[in-house]
Amino acid sequence: MNVLVLSGYGINCENETLHAFEVVGFKGKIVHINDLIQNPKQLNNYQVFAIPGGFSYGDDTGSGNAMAKKIMTNLYDQLINFSLKDKLIIGICNGCQILINLGLVPSLNKKDPEVALIENKSGSYECRWVDVKVSNNKSPWLENISTLNLPVAHQEGQFMIPINLLKTIKANNLIGLQYINHHKKLAKGQFPFNPNGSKDDIAALTNQNGNVLAMMPHPERAFYHYHIPNWQSKTLKKFGDGYKIFMNAKKFFT
Amino acid sequence: MTNTIQILSIEKTGKESSLQKEHNNKSIKIIDGYFFSTNLDDQKFTKISKLISNDVSQTILTKKNVNKVLSSYSNFNWVVEIKFLPGVTDNIATTVKEIIKDNLKSSFKSFELGSTKIILIKGRKEDITKISKNEANPLIQTIKIYPFKKYLNNFKKNQFKIEKVKLPKKKYSKKEINLNISDHQLSLIGKLGIEENDKSRRGTLGLDLESLKAIRNYFSTIKRKPTDVEIETLAQTWSEHCKHKIFSAKIDDIHEGIFKKYIKGATEKIIQLRKDNFCVSLFTDNAGGIEFNKDWIICHKVETHNTPSALDPFGGAITGIVGVNRDCLGFGKGAKPIANTYSYYLADPNKKYQLYRQKNKDPMLPANFIAKGIISGVRVGGNCSGIPTPQGNVYFDDRFAGKPLVFCGTVGIIPKKIKGKLSHKKKANPGDIILMAGGRVGKDGIHGATFSSEELDPNSPVSAVQIGDPITQKKMSDVIIRELRDENLYSSITDNGAGGLSSSIGEMAKESGGFIVNLEKVPLKYNGLYPWEIWVSESQERMTLAVPPANVKKVIKRFNARGVEATIIGKFIKKEKAIVKYNKTEILNLDMEFLHEGYPKLNLKTSFPKIKKEKKKIIKNSSLIDKLHKLLSSPNIVSKEFIATQYDHEVQATSIIKPLQGEGRVFGNATAIKPLFDDEKSIALSQAAYPQYAETNPYDMAGCSIDTAYKNLIVSGANSKKIAILDNFCWCSSDEPDRLYQLKEAAKACYDYAVAYQTPFISGKDSMFNDFKGFDKTGKSVKISIPPTLLISSIGVVDKISHLTKMTPDDGDILLVLGNTRNELQDSVYFKIIGYEKSKNPVVNSKDALRTYRNFEKANKLRIINSAIGIDLGGIGIAVIKMAIASKKGLTIDLKLKNKISVDQFLFSETQSRILVSMKKNKLVNFKKIFKGSDYTIIGKCTGSDVVEFKDNKKIMRGKISDFAKSYKQSIKGL
Repeated sequence: MNVLVLSGYGINCENETLHAFEVVGFKGKIVHINDLIQNPKQLNNYQVFAIPGGFSYGDDTGSGNAMAKKIMTNLYDQLINFSLKDKLIIGICNGCQILINLGLVPSLNKKDPEVALIENKSGSYECRWVDVKVSNNKSPWLENISTLNLPVAHQEGQFMIPINLLKTIKANNLIGLQYINHHKKLAKGQFPFNPNGSKDDIAALTNQNGNVLAMMPHPERAFYHYHIPNWQSKTLKKFGDGYKIFMNAKKFFT
Repeated sequence: MTNTIQILSIEKTGKESSLQKEHNNKSIKIIDGYFFSTNLDDQKFTKISKLISNDVSQTILTKKNVNKVLSSYSNFNWVVEIKFLPGVTDNIATTVKEIIKDNLKSSFKSFELGSTKIILIKGRKEDITKISKNEANPLIQTIKIYPFKKYLNNFKKNQFKIEKVKLPKKKYSKKEINLNISDHQLSLIGKLGIEENDKSRRGTLGLDLESLKAIRNYFSTIKRKPTDVEIETLAQTWSEHCKHKIFSAKIDDIHEGIFKKYIKGATEKIIQLRKDNFCVSLFTDNAGGIEFNKDWIICHKVETHNTPSALDPFGGAITGIVGVNRDCLGFGKGAKPIANTYSYYLADPNKKYQLYRQKNKDPMLPANFIAKGIISGVRVGGNCSGIPTPQGNVYFDDRFAGKPLVFCGTVGIIPKKIKGKLSHKKKANPGDIILMAGGRVGKDGIHGATFSSEELDPNSPVSAVQIGDPITQKKMSDVIIRELRDENLYSSITDNGAGGLSSSIGEMAKESGGFIVNLEKVPLKYNGLYPWEIWVSESQERMTLAVPPANVKKVIKRFNARGVEATIIGKFIKKEKAIVKYNKTEILNLDMEFLHEGYPKLNLKTSFPKIKKEKKKIIKNSSLIDKLHKLLSSPNIVSKEFIATQYDHEVQATSIIKPLQGEGRVFGNATAIKPLFDDEKSIALSQAAYPQYAETNPYDMAGCSIDTAYKNLIVSGANSKKIAILDNFCWCSSDEPDRLYQLKEAAKACYDYAVAYQTPFISGKDSMFNDFKGFDKTGKSVKISIPPTLLISSIGVVDKISHLTKMTPDDGDILLVLGNTRNELQDSVYFKIIGYEKSKNPVVNSKDALRTYRNFEKANKLRIINSAIGIDLGGIGIAVIKMAIASKKGLTIDLKLKNKISVDQFLFSETQSRILVSMKKNKLVNFKKIFKGSDYTIIGKCTGSDVVEFKDNKKIMRGKISDFAKSYKQSIKGL
């Protein structure tokens, strides 16, 4: 099992993302986008393609946009092919924004981006821990998970989805994660449970096969128990909730 | 054909909402504009707009649709167009250029473009003027206000214009300066700069008469006139910023100066006493380094960026943080930045100070604009660089109205050995190539080093402003840390900060002997820079490397492959000469010895100042609970959560003790990160400064700062033998004997307490003239000096995760105050907010303090302590409430007081070296064994209810935790 973790131009969560994959049993490599463009064939050696969080191009012209355009011009077909195979793709935070801008998620019309991630309703950057629940979704990334406690850290995490498309997304079960409140009920847009005002409390979307997951929260930052806020007051397991996402990737291939 | 692409969000953006709320106007819309230097045909327009916009969430304005689209939002009637002034870093434009270049390849020839923010409103002209004042800074931006009709017309007629740098086309000829002139003329060169042919002056050099005479003497010995470049270089190298002349000066009877005697002296004494390997690299490098574990070193550096932040708060602060990141990259062979720290000392953002740099003109920016700009500058710098920013604080006082203090710090990590060689050692060898990597050079920050050493006055040059570009730096940093360093491809590295190349190369060349630089090789942002400008420019995001000739090709290739520019600009030589050429003409040739040591040493005298104690205030009779609410909501105690949540402190997945602690989210005094996946050792960080104590007694002020910074780490669970500290002195009027007296006293305390605590100083910086000289709104001249501020930053190693403490007690826990409480309310928050009680200022007794700390450490390791919080501003009272808010658990406090101390004195005194702890009742026996002979008081217990109660002999005073939390979490007015 091999994972390619993308880097370059301001992506910055590649080390911890690779680490999480390695701990669950993957072999992996951090590959600079320019090296991948030079030699796209190397994608054949990998089963998982991960776009980590960060600030590619400083979020200028919209978060994830510039990197998505670079990929679209240079690697689009290869990535589409990758997504059509029995392989997995994950985009976390900035990676999520990139996947959405590429249209790889929800990928209903296969051509243009259909969904946008816009600035948080609060107007400010939000670094905080949230609870999310897995919606009725068949994605291998999310199997057997009910809720997760994970951190978000973004300025543009509000899913904007045209009404008709939202219906289709729901009908196809493409909502991956939704923000919930302290009572485990949907946050209904209420801050800070829903940190960005996202429509229908959406925190993650998948494509129709479920093998491509675009999520705003950071599972790699909730990997060990000591990542969890106030862990000293809690009964401890070795891992935090983020671990489950990476384990699911492993299970998919074993 | 059009020369602009303008994009707007279909839905209301967060920014638009906040503008609408702030200005109570629902008709405000923001457009992202891009103005091109050339006309785009329809095909290019479509292609490029698609590349830089989002179909789903945005609309692209065209000549055809502009009127219709905009009128669907409102009947706008005013427009403000905000663009960067020519030459100011425009990061968005850089990205757009890169996107176009990357995706359209060769189909588009060279062009310029500028990003523009266009705000539309329906309202009065006053309204748009007000908005523009809140959204733009005239020092770095052009602000054009015009009617909406004109906007539409501009759109139709392609009349949007970009601001280009227009420098006169000039041919450089070597300029020699005659220094055989009158003293008066000579001083003018120092104060106003070198005279150009047209009689204009280049801007202050910050050289005093004595220094200029030393330069004159040197050149008369070598029998020639100095060139302009030589004088500029000496001004940079000898600046207070670079040479710290005040700290190294003879002061009264201290011949070696206060740095050598008190700061370095303390560390040397400690090393002599400790005999361990804790201190690795001190004072000599860009940051100070200590041992983390057997394989890794951590380094820490804290810088100030005060003057730039007063002029352009966002730019000043972002440059401050990315600048100090480079100090880590330039530590040893290059340490990876793993945490940022911040401390801001600001004026009240809710007040209008109305200060002017010149009579009735050139106003200071409003206090809230400064505060907001600084906070967001560090946010963008830290977040975009992928470096967590967990640790910091903000302090407010009117005396920062003329100059805010902006402290930015970075912690870095580096393996002890790289390819078998010690990583903290570096040496540029003769023959090594001088390679400049990263951004290009423009007029940014010219005279930054010389100018930050001067007081802020009308002659302060505007080109001193710079804006950081974190992404360019991140790209460069990734290549250095991940690819070049571990293959040992370069022999030395340093950052380009104050003084630019003149400083970085000048410093590095000490390792080899000397250098030869060819300035025409330096890549420029735009043509027309004079050689002296290239040499001293402080354009950001650049590192200088010494690369063995055999590796140069490889190194450049690696940089280029990652989209980073790297250029050969000279070589290091053995001969102790500093040589600079421009198109083969030699324009600088100095002896290295003179360059670095030729400046005249100062001889300073101090005198005992009049102590300015604040006047007596009347205490309004109010209940204890009211007083607690007042203190909790006062700006220096109220929660700084709004900063913690906008600074990414989780990136790198190292955050282990977070800035907001407990379920109730209390802003903690210390945070911790665990930097390595395979070692449970962690790094605890904190900082402290007490400017409010400075005027009463600067010695005790410094003692309190060290004690608090140290205590916070002890409380967090750090190993007391592995704590190091950093000193940042921000002083005022350091040419006045009474200010120098305060400085000497504070430095003396640094020695005494550092040695007592055995915590070495590993790095430091000073900024000596934080004064504002200008005018108030009536035209009366005013001088506002900051209170002397000594920031002590502390960094410590926590050996085991289980040593990390929490501030949340559990039901049934008993509460104790460790350490003695004295009547020390002078200059406290209580003193300022509530009123005056006859009292003394806090004085640290290091023996008592150490006894408490050692015992605490022992008890914590034995798991006797269940929760703990350091007691500082607002005393025991505030510490108790914070514990209750954090844990959401009620506490009962018993106020049976001894020693004739009043309730208010007991609860609000800011006596140092105290810790509030909780523990299970059954641990008390063991606790008492450890604390035998040490001061502690049992003050109450954790009830788990929803109230905090204070009982004395007569009555019970009670407040709901949720009410306290409300006061504590109030937003700061003006922010």
